[in-house]
Amino acid sequence: MSRKVLRISRRDFVKLAAGSAIAAGIYSFTRGAPYAVRAAGEKLRMWWWGEQEAPGLEKWVKDSVAMFEKETGVTIEVTLQDTATVISEFQTASAAGNAPDIQFLWNGIYHMESVWLGYLEPLNGLISDELLKEADATVLSIYQGKQYRLGWYAASLMWLYNKEMFDKAGLNADEPPTTWEGLLDACDKLKSKGFTPIVAGLKDGFWGEWYMGHALGPNLDSPAEALQLFIGELDWREPKYHEHWTKLEQLWKAGYMNEDMNSIDLYPGMDYFGAGKGAMTAIVIPTLGKQASMLGAEKVGLMVFPAGGKGKMNNKPIRDLQGLGVSSQSQYKQIAAKFLEFLHTPERVQAVWTDSKALPTDASWDGSAIEDPLFREAWKTWVANPDTVPYISNLMPVMFWTDAMFVNSQKIIAGEYNGEQAGENAQAVATKWREQNPDLLEHYQIWAEDLKL
Amino acid sequence: MLRTKPWIPYLYLAPVSVLILFVFGYPIIAIFDFSMRRIRGASGPFIGLENYRQIFKDEVFQQAILHNAQLLLAVPILVIVGIVLAVLLYERVAGWRIYRTILFAPFIIAVPVIGIVFSNMLSLNGAVNELLRAIGLGFLALDWLGSAQMALWSVMAIIIWHEMGFGVVLFLARLLSLNEEIQEAARIDGAGWWQRLWYVTIPQLKDVTEFYAVVSVITMLAWVFPFVYVMTRGGPGNATQVMELYIFNFAFRNSLPGIASAVAVILFLITLALMIPLFQLRARTEMEGIE
Repeated sequence: MSRKVLRISRRDFVKLAAGSAIAAGIYSFTRGAPYAVRAAGEKLRMWWWGEQEAPGLEKWVKDSVAMFEKETGVTIEVTLQDTATVISEFQTASAAGNAPDIQFLWNGIYHMESVWLGYLEPLNGLISDELLKEADATVLSIYQGKQYRLGWYAASLMWLYNKEMFDKAGLNADEPPTTWEGLLDACDKLKSKGFTPIVAGLKDGFWGEWYMGHALGPNLDSPAEALQLFIGELDWREPKYHEHWTKLEQLWKAGYMNEDMNSIDLYPGMDYFGAGKGAMTAIVIPTLGKQASMLGAEKVGLMVFPAGGKGKMNNKPIRDLQGLGVSSQSQYKQIAAKFLEFLHTPERVQAVWTDSKALPTDASWDGSAIEDPLFREAWKTWVANPDTVPYISNLMPVMFWTDAMFVNSQKIIAGEYNGEQAGENAQAVATKWREQNPDLLEHYQIWAEDLKL
Repeated sequence: MLRTKPWIPYLYLAPVSVLILFVFGYPIIAIFDFSMRRIRGASGPFIGLENYRQIFKDEVFQQAILHNAQLLLAVPILVIVGIVLAVLLYERVAGWRIYRTILFAPFIIAVPVIGIVFSNMLSLNGAVNELLRAIGLGFLALDWLGSAQMALWSVMAIIIWHEMGFGVVLFLARLLSLNEEIQEAARIDGAGWWQRLWYVTIPQLKDVTEFYAVVSVITMLAWVFPFVYVMTRGGPGNATQVMELYIFNFAFRNSLPGIASAVAVILFLITLALMIPLFQLRARTEMEGIE
């Protein structure tokens, strides 16, 4: 049997390569004209995040899109974003003039910077005032009277405690501590019974951010005070503003926290609680279900971190939530707004809860009908409660997270810093940020005025 | 003889030259340009050397540079241990092919996988410390990645473990291509194993050694990001902060690509400053060889 050999001369090869290159060029050129296609078919793009913390939301998003497409004939292409690139992807796409029409937005500075860069459209006028109020996105979404986000589901921060361990330590399992002294006393009794009072993971740094959100806020009178610390009108070196780090040092040195804190990440540290290895831990609402199912819901109690602050924000639950906004570059702002309104119809709002067990933040949604008492309490105290405070870590730019919140907590646990040194580092980082971002400072100053409660 | 106009060859070269300039030249020029702007979005105002001023007064950057410099200590370890292991394999000890595969295996495992596995193994209550405690060496059970004193060295050890396989295979390939007659002649002249290694084998590995040293220097300066990012994210504190992570933080977290570009320029220049003498040395060696 003869074999046919494919013979290609150098000239043939060059021709083939050139032909392929031209074909690829034509293909990419035609593919590179998304707006022309989109204009004809009214195809919107939505970039979102959330499945990572509330499994089930992806189904909800897909269902919502399918229903909206059926109702309106508009196509919406959805992309689930990676946690690390939620902000940078949107800002890069916006800078290139190719932003999605609808964008997931974390609260506070994590979308406010995009507002200042002109990448987000104010929702006032696009969405009814009634719905803007109803799906309130917290005061941190408002800049100069304009609202840039529509609330979606709760991401409030809270603490859990193990009722069984409290019982065994002779503590009142129905009344968790509400003062700093009460917390120290509880930790002492828990430790004496062989329990680790507080469990956390700090290797990736994020617990440091949570801790500051829980423990600095209570010493402040309003979120504006946190911003004033940042823009240089107040000083982190004042004991009032770094006392929370001194308290962290106190907890650590007393042996009230798991000794491997610096060598495990946030979520594994949190899971120690679910595994029954610790009496108290910090969580965000979407992770409540997991911890309750791991430990047994009947053993789980909810509490506000008793930081023992002296400010008006002391002992108040932290209310935070995720949201969605509309790009200022969208050619279909009205349609995007209609879609956001559709997401807030009663049936869709209810479906957020049924599909993902994430708590919707719409004021009209009645969480009192939730059968699970733990989630019902979480909704009542951390979502529907009018007497809550915003999450102040959301006011700090990322540099402050990585260089101050993360670093200070890790260094305190490593024995390299005390509270005072942490305050000095925070002051240095805030100064560095101001020097590197003089153009954003003015926006921060305006925002601080907006946030005076 | 076919005669062409003198500029014709340049015309043929032009398309590729333009392509190369675009692919390599444009990004470098753009980074230099970005490094002197306060970039917001796609561009920003020209601010001269302000980004550089900010970087040099930043303590975190100073720590990053210091840590990259400390990681360079891994280069001689990689070279020496790589040569020793390759020579041992070259001696064709029983099962040498299996050892070669085992030594090379870490190099082909994805760094994020290595990072996640070692993060768990090296945590305070991870497998390594549990093993140490189980065999009565609990005093050696340290917080490998959670302690500021240990973290950088732990990361360096894992990088060495990962990179070693490449060096071993490189040295072994060169050893296998050497002229056996020279070894044989040395043996006949009465040279022992150590003398043959020191005076015959190692000098013949010079070019590979230089190449591997250069690659390892580049690795330690500009290729450690995935290890650090997955295992420590620069912590605890800034104990494992390196220049690449610093660039990442400014480019993608702090939304200051201008500063990230300035650090990239510095990293580029440092690498260049280290590479040029190495290449000059190599060129001189080659010239000496020719002469």
